[in-house]
Amino acid sequence: MRETILQGLEQAYWNFVHMIAEFLPHFVVMLIIIAVGLLVAFVLRYCLRALLRLTRLDRVSEEAGASRVLRMAHLPAMSELLSRSLFWVTWFAFILIGLSVLGVASLQAQISRLLQFLPEVFIAILILFLGVAIANFLSRAALLAAVNAGLPSARIISWAIRFVIWILAITMTLEELGLAKQTVIAAFSIVFGATMLGLAIAFGLGGQDLARRFLERHWGDTKKGRDKEPQPL
Amino acid sequence: MAEDTFLADDLLRQLMSVGEVDLLVGISTHNAANPVRQAVQVIEQSYQQHFIRQRVVIVLMDGSEEKDGDGTSEAAPVVAGKGNVRVPGITSLRTIHRVTASFSTPPLPGVALRTILAVADLLRARACAVVSSTSTNLSADSIAKLLGPVYREKFDLVAPLYTRHKYQGLLVRNLLYPMSRAVFGSGIREIFPSEWGFSGRLATHCLNQRVWQEEAIRARPEAWMAISAIGSDFSCCQAYLGEKTPPAGAAGTDIVEILRQTVGGLFWCLENEQDFWFDIDKSVSVPTFGPAPELTSEATEMDRHRIFEMFRTGVSDLEPILSSILDPETHAEIKNMVALEEGKFRFRSDLWVRTLYDFAASYHHAVINRDHLVQALAPLYRGMTHSFLVEHADSSPSEIEAANEMLCSEFELQKSYLRERWKAKIEVKS
Repeated sequence: MRETILQGLEQAYWNFVHMIAEFLPHFVVMLIIIAVGLLVAFVLRYCLRALLRLTRLDRVSEEAGASRVLRMAHLPAMSELLSRSLFWVTWFAFILIGLSVLGVASLQAQISRLLQFLPEVFIAILILFLGVAIANFLSRAALLAAVNAGLPSARIISWAIRFVIWILAITMTLEELGLAKQTVIAAFSIVFGATMLGLAIAFGLGGQDLARRFLERHWGDTKKGRDKEPQPL
Repeated sequence: MAEDTFLADDLLRQLMSVGEVDLLVGISTHNAANPVRQAVQVIEQSYQQHFIRQRVVIVLMDGSEEKDGDGTSEAAPVVAGKGNVRVPGITSLRTIHRVTASFSTPPLPGVALRTILAVADLLRARACAVVSSTSTNLSADSIAKLLGPVYREKFDLVAPLYTRHKYQGLLVRNLLYPMSRAVFGSGIREIFPSEWGFSGRLATHCLNQRVWQEEAIRARPEAWMAISAIGSDFSCCQAYLGEKTPPAGAAGTDIVEILRQTVGGLFWCLENEQDFWFDIDKSVSVPTFGPAPELTSEATEMDRHRIFEMFRTGVSDLEPILSSILDPETHAEIKNMVALEEGKFRFRSDLWVRTLYDFAASYHHAVINRDHLVQALAPLYRGMTHSFLVEHADSSPSEIEAANEMLCSEFELQKSYLRERWKAKIEVKS
């Protein structure tokens, strides 16, 4: 009886030693992979930051108005944000690879799924920021055109353009991530369709005079209206 | 010549048959045969009356869109070089050559000017002029006044001076002239002229610059050419050409487009010539041929109320854009002005100057898209226009001229403010 217990304990001890002996090299490999990942992520961040500064992305982002949105959200400049994103995505990918080396069966499938998901997250972030930048640029262009043409409600026109592009960008981002695809597309179609229909009805019924004035100003007798401003040159 | 490949073979063939010339006048034909025909006749009269012994050529930019089956345009009889106009009693001793550069569509002003400069360079022209076929004050005398100072007095650039209605040319009077004078230190009044003269030396110098693909130069190259001449110590002068009236049947005034071309072009020159202008403190006057320009003051109907409303709503609607362009203090003062009643509103000259310098510095730092930035100036320009119309409704031409001189002084006085704002953001960014 005593011997059986001792044998059991010995067996358990040797099993534990075997497990540790088997686990430790894997653990060391995991640490090495994570350390190498950290190094690679640093190098990639440095290279991307240098490349983006060379291409003057921050100036383009400033001009497009995206930097303003970033500042409002207390985020760093566009080039810094993208290079930091790349750093974390890269390092996270290496951490997942490192974890997979441990050979924990239940983790393998999840890690594999996460690895496949990472590029999509990166693309989704990119789509979102491009959407914000394009929305800012186009809404500002519309605001300036409407103000300088003397149209009433220039801000509403500008805001409507920004809103539609944001909705489109958010929809595309969620679709890229594969989150509630059907719901998102249906919601987008309803919101977009309702907005357009509402605008059409509002403009058609409520804005007949406005529409007439607008058409007269732009396609009517242009000389008549414009001669009342002095020739600038 | 900087680039000898962009001229078409057909044009080169024509130039070989012309040889060297003393005088050259370039004219952009665009899409209308009749104004071109008249312009060519006027240039020929000018050559026959004023330059009988000189070797001369007329260069036409043919961008007619409607071509015949053989590819020739409606303007072809004009540009074919046949049948020079004869002025009674005067016989030119030389053939008046005509050469044509053909384009499938009307060339942009920058493309047309570059072609004319290249032709001038190849033909070794001593004095050149560029005129617009739609110009209302084109005459044999005015062309001679553009060519004469270059050919006979050895000037390198001749800018025109005009008599105008007191409400015309407000952009020139309130912005382009005083700002360019203060910044570049030269009192050339018309930096965006529709006709001007220049030497072959200046033509070659400008042709060798690597700017011809720039959007600002392709759209309006005139100011850049004048500023290049000032910056490179070419001798400049002005010549009085008479009254300038808007072309008959002109389609009206698109202020935003004009601002984009002229103010956008001026800001582009500030950006690209900063090494030259940054330390200039005083402006110098340039020699002038002919009488001083005058202002006329016949009664003219202006919709002041609409101009003020567009200013007021513009400043209010563009608040987020203006806040990123203007200094907070300047912006606050403008917002306070908007709250005033129309009758009490005046755009103070010191505030106008600071506003423009803020715009110029923000253009330099590209705080927003540069085209958007220039467009955002339109409501403020309308505010200044309204203020001018009210303030000078009963002013005499001499009073307006005195006020303009004071505005020029204000621009010069506040140039240090422009320098500060120009440098400020660079320090922050670095």
